[in-house]
Amino acid sequence: MRGTWPAVVFFALAALVPVVVRDAFLLDGLILLLLWGATAAAWNVAGGYAGQVSLGHAAFFGLGAYAAALLGTRWTLSPWIGLLVGAALATVCGCIIGFLSNRLRGPYFVLATIAFSQVLLVVASRWRALTAGSEGVPVPFRPGFWTLGIADKRVWVYLVLVLVVLLYLIELYLERSRRGYQLAAVREDEDAALSLGVPAQRLKVAAIAASAALTAVCGALWAQYVGFVDPFYVFSVDLSVRFCLATILGGIGTPLGPFLGATLITTLETYLRAHFGGIGAGRVGIYLIIYGVALIVMMRVAPQGLVPWIGERLRRRPAPGTAP
Amino acid sequence: MSRLSVSGITKRFGGITANRDISFDVAPGELVGIIGPNGSGKSTLFEVISGFSRPDAGEVRLDGGRLTGLPPDRVCRLGVARTFQKLRPFAGLTVVDNVMIGALTRTRDVRHARTRARDLLDRVGLAEKADAPARTLSTGQRKRLELARALATEPQVLLLDEVTGGVDQRSIPGLVQLVRDLHRDGLTLLVIEHNMRVITAVAQRILALYLGEKIADGPPDTVTRDRRVVEAYLGQAYAQ
Repeated sequence: MRGTWPAVVFFALAALVPVVVRDAFLLDGLILLLLWGATAAAWNVAGGYAGQVSLGHAAFFGLGAYAAALLGTRWTLSPWIGLLVGAALATVCGCIIGFLSNRLRGPYFVLATIAFSQVLLVVASRWRALTAGSEGVPVPFRPGFWTLGIADKRVWVYLVLVLVVLLYLIELYLERSRRGYQLAAVREDEDAALSLGVPAQRLKVAAIAASAALTAVCGALWAQYVGFVDPFYVFSVDLSVRFCLATILGGIGTPLGPFLGATLITTLETYLRAHFGGIGAGRVGIYLIIYGVALIVMMRVAPQGLVPWIGERLRRRPAPGTAP
Repeated sequence: MSRLSVSGITKRFGGITANRDISFDVAPGELVGIIGPNGSGKSTLFEVISGFSRPDAGEVRLDGGRLTGLPPDRVCRLGVARTFQKLRPFAGLTVVDNVMIGALTRTRDVRHARTRARDLLDRVGLAEKADAPARTLSTGQRKRLELARALATEPQVLLLDEVTGGVDQRSIPGLVQLVRDLHRDGLTLLVIEHNMRVITAVAQRILALYLGEKIADGPPDTVTRDRRVVEAYLGQAYAQ
């Protein structure tokens, strides 16, 4: 699937949904699904393209969410400004994490990223004067585009879709540009890349910082859409794992992978929770078990992720009527 | 003036001195062979010249400019390329993409880099493998790939670590011819080689290292007859 047509189909379908569907529950699902896809794609910039697997990206997501929420509630600034401030803060933190990636490799880097997100969790839940502590921050609804107070979910779909397409284009750039090829070399073998004149350290820092900033943008929009920021959710390891999991399931280091992966796990999770998550006797947690088994099966069948798996199938059996 | 100048390089690892006060100059267009038994410090010397390892003393200069202390990617961009003894292709990328990454150090244009990469693959005899994943190549083909990749960075000086090591006998003449051609085209080469027949055939001058020290430096027939070199290789019994 080197072509972009599957992505065009995917995004076009998403854009068509609000025209046909009026159901608020479905639209809500679509918005969150697209947001998780965008966040996974932001993670993919560092984890997939630069090969710097982070399990602390919730830190950047939370920074974006808190920046938008706090600037909005305390100083009544526009969430758009909050979004930019969040992205700037995340860029700075991303540079620090990126610098660490030049000292720590493999599992040590992963541990450092988890630790970083946990430090932010402690700060956000204890620094009551700034963040209201563990109670979380409700985001006030102020109608208007500038204040992102949009009641119509269909508008939200298109708003998030703009972000989604932007992220997809960034991934395409990373697939086909000079910098993208150089990052691939760093991911494959850093020393060999250095020996060929690739400025590996600088590229890694830039990729991680960009990934952090984009994740913060997703966090800011999410906070604005959901309307409440809970430190134990936005800084959780669970959330970090979700970004990573969606990307790996969909196809790490592929432009469309994160979106497919996020679609898959979000729908699966929602469906299972709706059907098996009832409070009926003795099956409170059963949906998690089914969910876990489903993930294992998917990784067994398509260890490289959905996008490479589908691509391989298409190559092996070309559709009738196509030129050989 | 010399193209590459190595002066007083000493490199220690804990209690072991891998390079002790090694100095030599390489003239532009010269092909210098480096020989020595295992553990004599040949690869360490390459690590130091290419910037992967910092020496404890001494310095390396390229056309008079200091290389020592610069990171390896800078050293490459300044014009010193290397291959690795233990081959390191980008296994997940295609052969042509491997070479392209070298070419992208000199050009910003991806298409131009791809054309350059294909030309170089043609030159090293890997053209028909261009679109295969690098992991599918044999050892001999990997050597060629590393050579093409290094050449793509348009070096002034090329450091080759074991051109024929681990390569099947039939591929050796082709690789040797390739090195000869590069030399004829004016490239300055430093070649580590275990195969004496190969090195005496291509090199104008040979450096011999033993236990981290330079023990001989001169034309191939002089060096291979040098008493200390023969001792180092075969033991004292054969030196009489």
